[in-house]
Amino acid sequence: MLFSSISFLYYFLPVMAALYVISPGKLKNTSLLFGSLFFYAWGEPGYVWVMLFSIIQGYVFGLLVQRYRGQWAGRLFCVLSVCISLSFLFYFKYADFFIGNFNAAAGTSVPLLRVSLPIGISFYTFQMVSYTIDVSRGEPAQNNIIRLAAYIAMFPQLVAGPIVRYSDISGQLADRKHSLDGAAHGIRRFVIGLAKKILFANQFGELCSVCLALKEQSALSCWLYAVGFTLQVYFDFSGYSDMAIGLGELFGFRFSENFRYPYCSASITEFWRRWHISLGSWFRDYVYIPLGGNRVGRARQLCNILAVWALTGLWHGAAWNFVVWGLLFAALLIAEKIWLLRILEKSRVFSHVYVLFFVTVGFVIFGAGDLPEAVHRLFGMFGAGGIAPASPEALYYLKSFAPALAAGAIGATPAAAGLLKKGSAKKGWNRLLSVAEPVFVAAVLGIVTGYLADGSFNPFLYFRF
Amino acid sequence: MNNHKKNLAVCLTFTVLLAAGCLLGLFLPKEDISYSERRRLAPLPVLSADTWFSGRFMSDFENYAADHVWRRDSFRTVKALVQTKLFGRLDENGIYAADGHLAAMEYPLREASLSRAAERFRLICDKYLSADNPVYLSVIPDKNCFLAPQSGHLSMDYAKLEKRMAQKADFAEYIRISDLLETDDYYLTDPHWRQEKITDVAERLSQAMGASISKDYKKHTLDQEFYGVYYGQAALPFAPDTLCYLTTEATEGCRVYDWQNERQIPVYDQKLAAGRDPYEMFLSGSLSLITMENPDAPSKKRLVLFRDSFGSGIAPLLISGYSEITLADIRYIHPDTLEKFVDFTDCDVLFLYSTLVLNHSETLK
Repeated sequence: MLFSSISFLYYFLPVMAALYVISPGKLKNTSLLFGSLFFYAWGEPGYVWVMLFSIIQGYVFGLLVQRYRGQWAGRLFCVLSVCISLSFLFYFKYADFFIGNFNAAAGTSVPLLRVSLPIGISFYTFQMVSYTIDVSRGEPAQNNIIRLAAYIAMFPQLVAGPIVRYSDISGQLADRKHSLDGAAHGIRRFVIGLAKKILFANQFGELCSVCLALKEQSALSCWLYAVGFTLQVYFDFSGYSDMAIGLGELFGFRFSENFRYPYCSASITEFWRRWHISLGSWFRDYVYIPLGGNRVGRARQLCNILAVWALTGLWHGAAWNFVVWGLLFAALLIAEKIWLLRILEKSRVFSHVYVLFFVTVGFVIFGAGDLPEAVHRLFGMFGAGGIAPASPEALYYLKSFAPALAAGAIGATPAAAGLLKKGSAKKGWNRLLSVAEPVFVAAVLGIVTGYLADGSFNPFLYFRF
Repeated sequence: MNNHKKNLAVCLTFTVLLAAGCLLGLFLPKEDISYSERRRLAPLPVLSADTWFSGRFMSDFENYAADHVWRRDSFRTVKALVQTKLFGRLDENGIYAADGHLAAMEYPLREASLSRAAERFRLICDKYLSADNPVYLSVIPDKNCFLAPQSGHLSMDYAKLEKRMAQKADFAEYIRISDLLETDDYYLTDPHWRQEKITDVAERLSQAMGASISKDYKKHTLDQEFYGVYYGQAALPFAPDTLCYLTTEATEGCRVYDWQNERQIPVYDQKLAAGRDPYEMFLSGSLSLITMENPDAPSKKRLVLFRDSFGSGIAPLLISGYSEITLADIRYIHPDTLEKFVDFTDCDVLFLYSTLVLNHSETLK
């Protein structure tokens, strides 16, 4: 089920919220779990068992790891649990990628498995892995399977993150406070996320579709696609994260931030501290640091960076263009580590242009169906292959989408939030904003309902990861 | 207002709106048809183990829920206004407003589609016609042809389209009518031409085909408002059209037979004028094969008109010059079956198609 659907907004959410409110304190996690299982089964009825199995094995191995912590058996149980979790991910997500590449390299024709990818498996697998590893590192295991299942299956963050660490919410699973202020904050956050997805991400998605469908490609249409897709990914994913964080607050949970205006970064190093923060920190804590992190020699450290970013790329999708996308960032991060950061610090303008350029190029690689398509689109952006600089169609769509692109570009910066913050510090403005907030919530819901009633099914980009 | 009151207002607004949406969705009586979009709305899916585990129930329910939002058309209008006024989009769902009209951006020119249309026409000529049958072709430009150059929207090279069709259908004599048409010859919110504005087109066609038609038209205006197909698609607030039709002695006395439903039909059906698509009043809308007989015709001249929906508007203007006009719409009837119903001996044949169909000729059988 999508957050940005009529069935979620006007059927699931009111019923779920009502059930949660009337459930007594001890049963709140249970109602949240069953609601979440229904939410998941709505989109993936055939694969609920995969998630349930993952939860049960995590629960059992978590207890075993705790019991034998510090002994070889504890380490063995931890490795077993991680391997089981990752084997599901490998089977559903990567098996065909490896079989295809093996066939290409060895000239064999091993048949592909052609299994569909369970929604959200990349996210809940990483949460399960982090739980088991955290327990092996000393975090108390969860004795209550309902709580653990509610943590893994919790519908706000189940299908597209953020990747919530068990250690961050273990206390909240046992005891959390519900308040009017928290709920109001969650609602605001949810509504902002909804607007980001419906009003901006879908708009840019439409721009990308028309650009790709143009009969006559031009450098301008290729750039329009690149900029449109870069904005679409941001508004789509950060919008989803906002909705997830907002819904979490509505049910009494506090999830950590996943985006902090990444397109305002002055270096790629900074970009990755602001973009998909929960994924970056997961790879840092569970892959990079265990590999030695910054404590090893320079050559080993650079190899570790390459490995982590190849895996980050592969996490996003089982295709070579995702690996290349990850390695592009690895190369930039290494360059910044060695010498580039010093140069970037000298010019703010250049550093921002540099970040936006490589992030845009990166997302062209990311959004392509395969590597040749990525190369073709990149060449098109620079007029290679004899394509025209512009065409009447591209100029028309530039004109038609210019206000949305401008609004998106401003919306991707903290400008609007800063303005509101300044305004709320002034007494008169604060009064106006106080009245405007409920009106804003109602207006966004009304507009979004109009878009949903008029539109067709439009899934989030990150559902496929 | 202090923070607590503000937060209470936010929570109450959100709760009330969601609860209202939920209750209205659950208990409001459901419509079967969207008249503005001219389509059936999704029905409530049947819940069973099969539909649940296959995921069909969920996907069908998503469509059902989106189709049955309370005051859906008003919400669609809100969306259209946000798109065009707030985001400054130049078109909405491919429809744009210009010069008081709603029009679709027909773009780009599809050469392969033109070739296919010409091939389908050639097939009919080869199968049914002899050298004695005069064959004509005429292309009706859609209104994007006249509006887009002024409004800056995307449009095809219509002159090129006409030239290409004339070249590809070299078995037919081309009759140009685009020079007689202008924006106001079309309805404001619909793609079709206004019958009362195309008498000059009927005159040009009949002259070219050697027929003499009556110019003694009587104009009738219907009371009800006419919201065309673009109105429903764009969902933008727009003034309605008025629907007029012209009668002559020939239309008063002519008999029309609908082969598809095996019944007599009126030239202008007043009941359909009050229905979901008032343009269907002209020869009862999208029928595959109909015959108009004019018992008072001055000559024995007969015409077979291969046409799309634009043909329904002009055929009543041509009937005074013919003893019989057969209208065949090969989007709905395969040309191979025509021999059972149509006698092609010594008749004139006119292929009269709009650019909207020629540029999407995959609809032709």
